[in-house]
Amino acid sequence: MTQLRRKQLNRGLVFLLFTLPAFAAILVSVEIPFLMSVVSSFTKWNGLDKAQTFIGLENYKELFLDDQDMWKAFGFTLRLTLGSVIAVNLCALLLAVILDSDIKGKNVLRAAFYVPNIISLIIIGYIWRFIFSAGFDSFYQKTGWEIFMLSWLGDVNIVYFSVLLVSLWHSLGFYLVVYIAGLQTVPRDLIEASMIDGANRTKRFFRITLPLIMPSITVCVFHSLSNGLKAFDVIFSLTNGGPGNTTTTIALDIYRTAFVINRFGYGTAKSVVLFLMILILSILQVRVFKRREVEV
Amino acid sequence: MKKMLVGLLALLVALSPLVAAGQQEKKDEPVTLNVLFYSPELAEQYNDMVAEYKKATGVTLDITVLQTDYRSVLTSRLNSGDVPDIFMSSAYADNSTYKDYVYDLSNEDFIKQIEPGALQGVISDGKVTGYPFLVQSHSFIYNKKVFRDNGITTLPKTLAEFEAVAKKLQANGVQPFATGFKEFWVLPQTAWQAIANVPTENYGGYEKFVGMLNSGALKFKDIPQMSQLFDLLDLIKKYGGPKPNESDFNDQTSSLATGKVAMIHQGNWAEDSIRKTNPEVEIGFLVGPTGNNAATAGIMFDSNQTIRIAKDSKNLQAALDWLRWLTTSEYGKNWIPGKVKQLSPIIGAAAPDSYIAKETSALLASGAPGYPWFYQMFPTGTEQQLGAILQGYCAGLTNREQTLDALDAAYAKIAKAAQ
Repeated sequence: MTQLRRKQLNRGLVFLLFTLPAFAAILVSVEIPFLMSVVSSFTKWNGLDKAQTFIGLENYKELFLDDQDMWKAFGFTLRLTLGSVIAVNLCALLLAVILDSDIKGKNVLRAAFYVPNIISLIIIGYIWRFIFSAGFDSFYQKTGWEIFMLSWLGDVNIVYFSVLLVSLWHSLGFYLVVYIAGLQTVPRDLIEASMIDGANRTKRFFRITLPLIMPSITVCVFHSLSNGLKAFDVIFSLTNGGPGNTTTTIALDIYRTAFVINRFGYGTAKSVVLFLMILILSILQVRVFKRREVEV
Repeated sequence: MKKMLVGLLALLVALSPLVAAGQQEKKDEPVTLNVLFYSPELAEQYNDMVAEYKKATGVTLDITVLQTDYRSVLTSRLNSGDVPDIFMSSAYADNSTYKDYVYDLSNEDFIKQIEPGALQGVISDGKVTGYPFLVQSHSFIYNKKVFRDNGITTLPKTLAEFEAVAKKLQANGVQPFATGFKEFWVLPQTAWQAIANVPTENYGGYEKFVGMLNSGALKFKDIPQMSQLFDLLDLIKKYGGPKPNESDFNDQTSSLATGKVAMIHQGNWAEDSIRKTNPEVEIGFLVGPTGNNAATAGIMFDSNQTIRIAKDSKNLQAALDWLRWLTTSEYGKNWIPGKVKQLSPIIGAAAPDSYIAKETSALLASGAPGYPWFYQMFPTGTEQQLGAILQGYCAGLTNREQTLDALDAAYAKIAKAAQ
């Protein structure tokens, strides 16, 4: 064995040793439970009986052929995700640009937009539930505006926007921070150079700033995408999936299948499918966005 | 640095016998029972009972009280082996859900002190699988003052009479109902009561009725009386104010207490919240309409909340002693009627100081039918699923025919999974 190869081997060994603790921890707390749930997804089990019955692909068959509720929930989740990815990123970017410029009280405003992000979504759901019903009632009595008399949580055509509004209000702060950080990394000299070349405000933004903050956009879109697909807590406390099942997301549907109807096997089958969907969408999204990032 | 480390280690070695001694001592301490309950509105009463029991016997009950996620927490705790010594669940279908975990109380002496009627819901395969916690009733609660002020003297019994009362109230500017449609458990309670007479009249009793539904021999869409159910929901929605789909439990109780609405469909557990909002309020209990036959209009009267003892608990004897104390001691006997202020399932227990409990007894004495909570015999999980479908009907998502199909499809699925 040559000296070089021995050195390489040594290095590999050191690398292995250093990663072993983390690897073991992740294996025990994430990977093994995940594999166990994949196994559960092939069984019929109510979560309580001590025996699990193996039923092969029955759960997956039912899921793909005979479960309209799940696919309705899937459709709603996709609509909600699409809506929130667009709304959250546009609003956050716009606000970030405003708050990154020299306006008065920008620090106070930044803090104000961030505050809702600190509060748990469950609590925010309950607060907004109160605002939509009792709060809007008294607004209506004060102002007489019809908009407050709409049934924001009870009308199947409006409830989508109520959910979107609340999740936007909650998550805006986080994305705002990421975008502001991104904007601050844009080198001033590039902006100045473009000014000298005669680029106006809009051109400067689209030609210089936007390409340079592409990494922030990748992070934010990725984050809002996976959060949208996993939406649970805001729905749970705000609408509980209602009225009917109009605002039931996949995550809530899985929760109910497992814990309310006591079909753990079927519930895990659903979550395996959800996992695959998030995985595929995230990989696609990161690939597409990474390609557009530029280096200064 | 090294010195410090050695010093620390030495200290640790020196102290360890002390710690060990401490652990040794713990073994002789009196038992602590691990309890998982729901109904957080009773937290005060639970704590009062715990303190009293500690005084009487020295045994501590460590109670965790939850509400919305109770079932999921219980399931995960049972699953992970962290089984509470004592826990709660519903009666009927839950008897078989928790069959692997509960202790059979059949041979316990104190079970003989319980009203046989209250035991029906916990008996499964001839075994007494739980202890009926209290007897509850649900139907329409009304604000007596609002009825008086609007000149309503005859209490409604049939659908037509309810509609006439609602019309009159609406004309006088009073909102007749607060719907509670946002709560997934209020809707089924309201709905199933409207056909409570049907299983015995047409299908030879509740067990047969549910058995036929479970096997698929009977479908909801083949039950003509389902129209009674939809008619009632339509009526409540029509006279349920401008936002009928947003009314929840809090809205119901506070609106009734303040006299903003005249009637709500609720049970005796709502009385505490109503009286807390307005201590002066006078409330009464109405029979719920089953179509237009006044003779079958009744109330839903059953013992559903069930205390269960874990059979593998190492404190099994202590848990049984606690139940015996709850059934036979002076304080225990008086706890449900006196403190919880609901009807007790114990034979010869005192009557509680509660409007609804008193009116429940009066209604039953006057010959109004008291129906069991037969929808609790449906397989576990139907309450939420069918509730969501009925909620969809009330929100205008589906018409009657589609709703019936959806109910049948959802029921068949859950029944199949529960086999």
